[in-house]
Amino acid sequence: MSISREKSKDEVIQALHNVASEMHDKMSKGNPPTMTLPVRSKSNIGFDQRLGVYKYGKKRTVRDATNLGSAKQLLRSLHVTEFIEEMINNGKSSTLREMYYISEAWGNGKFHSQNESNNLAEDLEIVTKCLREDFRLRPEEDGARIIGNVTFEERNRRGDWMRINCRDDVGDSGYGVPYNVESEKLRLIDEDIDFIMAIETGGMFDRLIENGFDEEARCALIHLKGQPARSTRRIMRRMSDEWKKPIVVFADCDPWSFRIFASIAYGAIKTAHISEYLASKGAIYLGITADDILAYDLPSDDLSKQDLGALQAELSDPRFSTGWWQQQIELMQELGKKAEQQSLAKYGLDFVTDTYLPEKLAHPDVGLAY
Amino acid sequence: MSEEKPLAGKQKQIAISEFFEKNKHFLGFDSLQRSIITAVKEAVDNSLDACEEERILPDIRVEINRLDGDRIELISQDNGPGIPRGAIEHVFGKFLLGSRFHAIRQTRGQQGIGITGVVMYGQLTTGSKTSVISKVKEESSAVQVDLGIDTRKNKAIKSGESRDVWIDDITGEEIKHGLKIRTEMKAKYQRGRQSVYQYLRMTSIVNPHATISLTVKDRDGELIEEGHWPRTTGRLPRVVEEIKPHPHGIHLGTLQRMLREAEERKMTSFLRHNFSGVSMRAAREILGKAGLEESRQPRRIRAEEAQAVLDSFQKVKLLNPPTDCLSPIEDLLIKKGLSKAIDSRFASTVTRDTRVTQGNPFQIEVGLVFGGDLASDSPIEILRFANRVPLMYQQGGCLLTKAVESVDWKRYGLDQPGGRGIPKGPAAVLIHLASTNVQFTSEAKEAVAGNEEVLGEIRRALMEVGKGLKNHLKKSSQRKKAREKFELINVILPEISQKTSQLLGREEPNLAPIITQIMNAVFCEEALGWDATRKLTTCDITVFNYTARARAYTILAKWPESETVAMVDNPLGGRKETHGLWAWRLDTLDPGSSAVISFTVSGLSKGDWADMEIFFRGNGDIIGATKIDEKLLDEMRNKEALDAAVEEVRIKKDPMIENLAERAEESVPVPNDEGVIDMGSLTPDQGVDE
Repeated sequence: MSISREKSKDEVIQALHNVASEMHDKMSKGNPPTMTLPVRSKSNIGFDQRLGVYKYGKKRTVRDATNLGSAKQLLRSLHVTEFIEEMINNGKSSTLREMYYISEAWGNGKFHSQNESNNLAEDLEIVTKCLREDFRLRPEEDGARIIGNVTFEERNRRGDWMRINCRDDVGDSGYGVPYNVESEKLRLIDEDIDFIMAIETGGMFDRLIENGFDEEARCALIHLKGQPARSTRRIMRRMSDEWKKPIVVFADCDPWSFRIFASIAYGAIKTAHISEYLASKGAIYLGITADDILAYDLPSDDLSKQDLGALQAELSDPRFSTGWWQQQIELMQELGKKAEQQSLAKYGLDFVTDTYLPEKLAHPDVGLAY
Repeated sequence: MSEEKPLAGKQKQIAISEFFEKNKHFLGFDSLQRSIITAVKEAVDNSLDACEEERILPDIRVEINRLDGDRIELISQDNGPGIPRGAIEHVFGKFLLGSRFHAIRQTRGQQGIGITGVVMYGQLTTGSKTSVISKVKEESSAVQVDLGIDTRKNKAIKSGESRDVWIDDITGEEIKHGLKIRTEMKAKYQRGRQSVYQYLRMTSIVNPHATISLTVKDRDGELIEEGHWPRTTGRLPRVVEEIKPHPHGIHLGTLQRMLREAEERKMTSFLRHNFSGVSMRAAREILGKAGLEESRQPRRIRAEEAQAVLDSFQKVKLLNPPTDCLSPIEDLLIKKGLSKAIDSRFASTVTRDTRVTQGNPFQIEVGLVFGGDLASDSPIEILRFANRVPLMYQQGGCLLTKAVESVDWKRYGLDQPGGRGIPKGPAAVLIHLASTNVQFTSEAKEAVAGNEEVLGEIRRALMEVGKGLKNHLKKSSQRKKAREKFELINVILPEISQKTSQLLGREEPNLAPIITQIMNAVFCEEALGWDATRKLTTCDITVFNYTARARAYTILAKWPESETVAMVDNPLGGRKETHGLWAWRLDTLDPGSSAVISFTVSGLSKGDWADMEIFFRGNGDIIGATKIDEKLLDEMRNKEALDAAVEEVRIKKDPMIENLAERAEESVPVPNDEGVIDMGSLTPDQGVDE
C-alpha cells in the first residue's frame, strides 16, 4: 500500500525467509519446527486508539509440527514462500486461485481447497507484515462499481494514465474498481460530491441510479457486492481520506449486513492486520435499522437460527460494543425479524429516493440534508 | 427329507391331521405370505437334517413359480440320501412327533410340524397333490409318486407311482441320490424382512457347509428374485450324540409314559437306564425320598407315585447331562457365513461353552459384524436362530431380542438412544441358541421363551463380542493416529527440513531428536497378508522405538490356532505361551530403531483372519498393543488344561477318567461370570460313585 512503506523485493523475500528461519532454527536445536502468528478471532481484536480501527491484539498462537495437520501447514507455507520468491524474481503475478491450482504439483504441500490457500496467504501477510500485493497474489474477488461525479486516473495495461469521470465516461454499470487501487495504479483527480454512499445490493444500487439519486443528492454511489472486497474498502478509505468526504452505508437489516458495515468502519476480523489501510473510521450506518422496520412498517422475514446465532455473537463483538448498536441488536432479537433494502418498494419505486433516504440523511446524527 | 426306515421305527404317530385343519394358524400357515415361507422352511430343514445325518454336503435348490390367482408352485430339490419307496407315504402322510422322548439331541426338524403340513396345506388350498421324486443310492432308478392325505384317517393316499432314471434338469446328469418335491398351494410371494429370500439367506449363514439357491419367477416366466449362497466350508457339522433325558427337564406326562413303556423290572435300573446323570447312588436316593421300594416294577407305578418321583428328582444332587449332543456352528464358520451374506469391515464371534438349564444342555453363539455397507442410522439387524433354524417372526417377544436390548451398547461403541432397546449403527448381530429342547413362547415356534440362564449366557456372549467391537474401534482410531504420526515424521518433516535448508542455503538439521520429541512412544503396527502361491496367511508385526531410551519387550500375538491351523515359518522362534497365543522376546530395541516379527500360518483361507490382537509384556506402553493381563493368561492356561482333560474323556469314554476329569476340575479355580473364561456346565458334583 502506497501510503506507507512500500516494501522492496528484497524486504519481502527477507520477511518470508524469516518464517523459514524460525522453523530451521527450531529444528537445529532439536525441536519441532514452528510458526508463530496472532490469534485470528474476535477474542483477539482490540481498538487501536492511535489508528482508530480494530487491530489484532497480543495473543499469539504457535503452529508446530507435532500433528499432521499443522505440519502440513508449515510445509505449505514453505512451498508458497518458494513460489512467491520465484514470481518476484521473474516479474510475474498470479491469482489466489491460480496458486491453488499450482499447488497441485506440491505433493504433500498441496492445498485441498481454495479456502485453505486463501487463509495461508493471509497468515503469511500477518506474519511477515507484507501485503498480498507484495506477494504478487491477486484476489479473484470482484471489485465494486462506482457511479457519481468523481474523476479517477487509472494506469491501463499499456502503462498509460487514463482519465475517467464516473458519471460521464461510464455506462449504467458504472466504473469497475480494479483489484489494485494504490497510487501506482489509481489516482484520485477531482470530485463534485458531498458524500459517498455504499450500497449492499445490486438491486438497490440500480434503483438509485435509475431515480437519478447520485445527481440529486450530490453523492458517489458504490455497490459493495455483498461483503466488500479489499480493494472496495481501500478505495472508499482513500476517497474519504483524500477528498474529506463522509461515508454512509445503506444495507439490509440483518446480522450479516451489520458485519459488512463493521468491516468498512472498523476493519474485518480476517484482515485486522491491515485495518489501518482498509477501514474508514467515520463511516455511518444509515439503514436499514431495526427501528426502521417499526417506523416504516416494513415487510419483514423471521430470523433464522443462524441469524439469531450471528446476532448473539455480535453482542459480544467489540466492534458492536456501542450503546446504539447494542440497542439495535437487542431490538432485532426482540422483534425476531429482518428486512431487506428493497422492502421499501412497498410504498412505490420512488419512496426510497423521495422519502426514506432524505429523511435518514437529514437526521441530526447524519447531518447530510440536501 | 430325512426320515429313513431305521429312524422311522422310533417315531410316534398321532392322528392330528384334523388338528391341522383347525389350527393351521399355529403351524405357520395362517397367511398367504407366511405359508410359502413355512413350506420352504419345512422342505429345506428336512433336506439339511437328512444330508447331515448321511454326511453329505447339501446342495439345495428352491424354485418358486407364480401361477394364476394366488396359486404358487413350489419345487425343492436336494442331493440328500432320498427316501426308500416304502417309507415315502409314511414321511409325507403323517404328522411325526420327533423321537425326543427316548433320544434327545439337537435337530432342526423338532421345530416344524414336518413336511406333511406342506402336503396338507397344498391339498386344502388347491386340491392338488404333491409329487415326490426320490432316489436312494442302493436302487437303480428313482421312484415318482403323487401324494394326497386322508385328513380323517391320518393316512397318505398314493397314486400314479412310476419308476425311471432321474436326470437333473439343469446339469443333464443322472442323479444318484436325492429328493425332489413339487407342490401347489395358495400363497403370496413377497420380498423384504419376512421373505423366502431372507429365510434362505439366514439359513445359509448358519449352514456354511450348504449350497443353497433360489429362483422366483412371475406368471410370464420372468425372473423376480434370485439368490445363490455357495458353501464356504467343506466341513459338515459335528455328528451329535443322542442323549437320554435328564431328570431335571422332565414333565409328569412324559415320565408316566416312559414308565408305561419301560422294559426294566426294577425302578433302580429304570432310572439308571432311561435318564442321563443318574448313578446307582442317585437312583436309590431318589426312590428313598419318593418313598418307593427299589424293586418296584416301573409299569405298576401309579400317577401319584410318579409325581413323588418327579418331586424327588429336584431334591437329589445329579450329574449334569453330557453336553456333546449339541452342534455349535463355531466361531470361524459364523464369521465366514456372516461375511458371505453381509458386507462389513469387522466381525467378532463367540461360541460359549455348553450349559444346562432344567436338565437340557444349551449353547449360545453370537456374531457381530460392523462397518462396510451397513446403514449407520437405523437399528441394527438381529439375526435369530434356534438349532440353526432362522426365526423370522415375533422379534419383539423373543428372548434373543430381549438379550440384545438389555445390553448397554454405548459402552461398546454403538448408539443406543435412551440407553435401552435395540442399538443403532452399522452393525448386525447373530444369535444362535443350540439346545436339545428349545422352549418357545408358542406352538408357532417363532420366539424363544424367557429363561434367566439362557438370557444370562446370551448377555455374556453379547458383551464379549461388544468388547471385541470396542477394541476394534479403539484400535482403528489408534491406528489412524499412528499412521498420521508416521506420515508426519517420515514424509512431512524431512520435506520441511529440506525446503527450509534449501530456501535459506543452510545445512539440513539432524531430525532424529525431533522425531523422538514428536513421537515419544513405542509404536506397533501389524499387517496380515496372503501368500497366494503357498496358500499361507502372512503376518508381520513391526515395533518402532521412538523414545529416547532402549526398550525390551515380549510381544504376544493371538492367532487362530486349531487342529487344522498351524504356524509354518517363524524365523524368530519365540515360544507358545498358551493355546492360540505366541510370544517373542525383543531384547534390545534402541532409540529410533525398529524390529519386525514375521510368521506365516497355514490352514486358513484368504481373509479368514482379518484382525490380529497384539499384547506385550514389559515396561512402557506400546501404541497399537495391549499390556497382557497375567491373571487372564493364567485363566487361559487353566482352561486349556481343562479342555484337554475333557477331550480325553470324550475320546476314551472311560468312567474312571470321567471321574478324574471331575476331580481335576475341582482343583481349578472357576472364574465367575464376569471372567472371560467360562468353565461351562461342568459344575463340581462330588461324591459320585458307581
